[in-house]
Amino acid sequence: MSLARFLIKRLLQGVFVVWGVVTIVFGLRVIAPGDPANVLLPPDVGPEVRQQVIADLGLDQPLYVQYWEFVSGIALGVPEGLFNIATGQPVGGLGLGTSLTTGTSVASRVGRSLPATLELAIMATVVAVVIAIPLGVISATNRYSVPDYGATLFSLAGISTPNFWLGVMLIIVLAVQLDLFPTSQRAIGIPGVVDLLVSGQLVAAAEGFRTWLWYITLPAITLGTYFTALITRLTRSGMLDELGKTYVRASRAKGLPDALVRYKHVLRNTLIPIITVVGLQLGTLIGGAVITEFVFDWPGLGQVLINSINSRDWPMVQGSLIVIAVGFVVVNIVVDTLYTLVNPRVGFD
Amino acid sequence: MPENGTNRRGFLKYAGGAAVTASLAGCLGGGDGGDGTDTPEGTDTDGTDDGGGDGTDTDDDMELPDFPVTITQGNMPSGLDPHDHRETPTDVVMLHVYEGLITRDAAGAVQPALATDWSRVEGEEAAQFQLREGVTFHNGDTLVGEDAAHSINRIVDEEVGFASPQSDQLAGVTGASAPDETTVQVTLDGLNPIVFSEFATYCDIMQRSWVEDRSKSEIGQTMNGTGPFKLDSYTQDEQVVMTRYEDYWDDPAEVSELTFTSAAESSTRVNQLLQGETDIIVNVPPQEVNRVNNSDAGSVAAAPSTRIIYNAMRYDVEPFSSKQFRQAMNYAIDLESIVSNVLGGFGTQTGQPTLPEFVGHNDDVGPYSYDPDEAERLVDESGHAGVEIELNTPVGRYLKDLEIAQAVAGYIDELPNVSASVNQRDFGSLVDELLTGNIEDKPPWYLIGWGEATFEGALVMTALLSTDGALTSWSNDEFDSLLETAANSTGEERIAALEEANALANEEAPWIFLNQQYSVYGVSSRVSWEPRSDERIDAYAMSQA
Repeated sequence: MSLARFLIKRLLQGVFVVWGVVTIVFGLRVIAPGDPANVLLPPDVGPEVRQQVIADLGLDQPLYVQYWEFVSGIALGVPEGLFNIATGQPVGGLGLGTSLTTGTSVASRVGRSLPATLELAIMATVVAVVIAIPLGVISATNRYSVPDYGATLFSLAGISTPNFWLGVMLIIVLAVQLDLFPTSQRAIGIPGVVDLLVSGQLVAAAEGFRTWLWYITLPAITLGTYFTALITRLTRSGMLDELGKTYVRASRAKGLPDALVRYKHVLRNTLIPIITVVGLQLGTLIGGAVITEFVFDWPGLGQVLINSINSRDWPMVQGSLIVIAVGFVVVNIVVDTLYTLVNPRVGFD
Repeated sequence: MPENGTNRRGFLKYAGGAAVTASLAGCLGGGDGGDGTDTPEGTDTDGTDDGGGDGTDTDDDMELPDFPVTITQGNMPSGLDPHDHRETPTDVVMLHVYEGLITRDAAGAVQPALATDWSRVEGEEAAQFQLREGVTFHNGDTLVGEDAAHSINRIVDEEVGFASPQSDQLAGVTGASAPDETTVQVTLDGLNPIVFSEFATYCDIMQRSWVEDRSKSEIGQTMNGTGPFKLDSYTQDEQVVMTRYEDYWDDPAEVSELTFTSAAESSTRVNQLLQGETDIIVNVPPQEVNRVNNSDAGSVAAAPSTRIIYNAMRYDVEPFSSKQFRQAMNYAIDLESIVSNVLGGFGTQTGQPTLPEFVGHNDDVGPYSYDPDEAERLVDESGHAGVEIELNTPVGRYLKDLEIAQAVAGYIDELPNVSASVNQRDFGSLVDELLTGNIEDKPPWYLIGWGEATFEGALVMTALLSTDGALTSWSNDEFDSLLETAANSTGEERIAALEEANALANEEAPWIFLNQQYSVYGVSSRVSWEPRSDERIDAYAMSQA
């Protein structure tokens, strides 16, 4: 199968997955408790006004009509049958609707939060890969030694530590007690740094990048710890598996230096399954950053999701979930494509 | 503030806010540059110098201090349109830029603001406000009667603007007009004894032409008021930055730059305060109080709020249909212990639906005493011995709500003739049941809180206990009649009716009376500020410690 056909096939599969997610998200809205009209209206308004608002929101329509308008709105970017309470105008735009609480575009709000979440997910991945792979290699090449036990202990602790607890501890110790990092928030994002760079403010851009790093360090460690532990374990077991194979003995018998055998041949082969896991985990991190974002007041999709759930702002909840799902699907397609390119033994089948 | 890195505020200044933030809605446009009023000397743009009512224009040569302050709430404002929201966090942001005709001081007393005089119009169902002269909007234009009238109409009349969610906050107001440049006449649909209470709490004044020149969406993204601070930048859901308005009609604020941020997680807010990243935080949980007070960074300051927490008992279902049983529930709980142990002292015991600071509070009525023997006797007398009851409570909505509910149910469960348990509920679904307008949809016994910023006991009792109240759980003809009397009278007669209604509520015990919730703030040691009962965090009242 050619690369083009492979991509088309995966994209079509992705469309069905996203459609499934959209359907589930719609179903969640239907079965979830809490009437959006109660969020929008003061408690003592009359039933007529309440009914009018429910009608304006399209919530008095049969479910299949609401579903059709919802799905077609997302697919085609046409009004979804929802109305902006403030203006009385039908909702249009990019198909994700308008926030019930702020009256602004969901697509624009979600789009603005996405870079923060992506930055966090990517930095957590970088932290994980930079720490985990060397640690896994050291652990595997020094089997049953002190470094191996240390790495194993670290992995166990990392996998079993809940990240909300870890985040709070990091804040208390490294930010409040030792004053090494800020406790929370995001002073500037990568788009801001790029803006400065493009406008020629090089010193400000460098300072912006340093500030960004300073703010993202603790959240990235918090989000990446579980991942780090996982990759360490994978690297260690993968290395051990590869080290026992005959090509390693053959290489050594040919007189190749041990370091060359380990890092050029063994590690390279070990990395193939790790790339898959890293890719999949990156997708998971985009959706899984909710708690970390909450603890660190990081203005990403997770914050948007929690705030909108609390306020029953369903268009915003739906928009956030759909963007997370699409992100996951896209990352998966990219990883699968890369995997087949990195490992020629796997074809585009 | 940490010295070893660039802080958020510092960085934004350094890099230039517009380049850094993605969606700044911008500084106030137009007139800012052209009004020639960027001097602290207090010369008004129209040449008048009437002293702004209090005769407190900025002293000549006075150097205004550089004193930036950051306030961190649990949520960011839902938008910047002062007439399109119902939330306290949004209100706290608004009050720094927009002002009402009249206002309240920290004790809740009505005070002049943009109006210097107000009165009822003889022989008419109307009220009149006399505007302060020489007040300017942040774009440099002078406040006139048309602006105030349009603002009132924008709230109460859908045809003028939009369906404002605040229309009920000006209940009884049907419209407004401006007979001349400094007078606003408000028409009422009856006597409306609380009209000035309503205006002291609600109705921010906007500039008519500014509003009419902008779309609804633009109005929600920028600000142009008359208050002591003017908008500098706004990043939706992230921060609002304001700067001191030096041509304010009263003394300019001591705070030079005011930033609003939010952190939903209480421990995050506490950590920000301890690290010096913010100056005022809201809702410090009782378990964090010592951590704040033991630090050098700040301390905890608390004030009784306008919110009452109570357990409603539906009068139409057994066993709560029995007055003896309802009274027994009040005698069964040790409210003093709940306030001191569960709430860490951050609460006041109640024994009537009206809080002490409110109009109509009956000083002769106290909380029920803790008397489990009397409770047991009353339960037996009610004929409901052996009953099992379940308390429905939201979780995390009010300060220690679940813990209060568990304590209440625990005390009642200790009675030998009643079994009580707690049912934790999602707030949204509980509120759905309370708001259907049908008493049968409500749970028989539930914990809920109610805030009333107007300081009017009548509004609390009407909404929560009158037969037709939006959230009522009770019906009593005598009580309804007393509220009716209060609604159609003023002065002493009205107060007496409300006090009698409170005494009756205490006797009939439609609720288990619980606590007045406190607003608990963390305040940086660099800021001097006293919290208020009405949950307003007023940076204008802040000074350097």
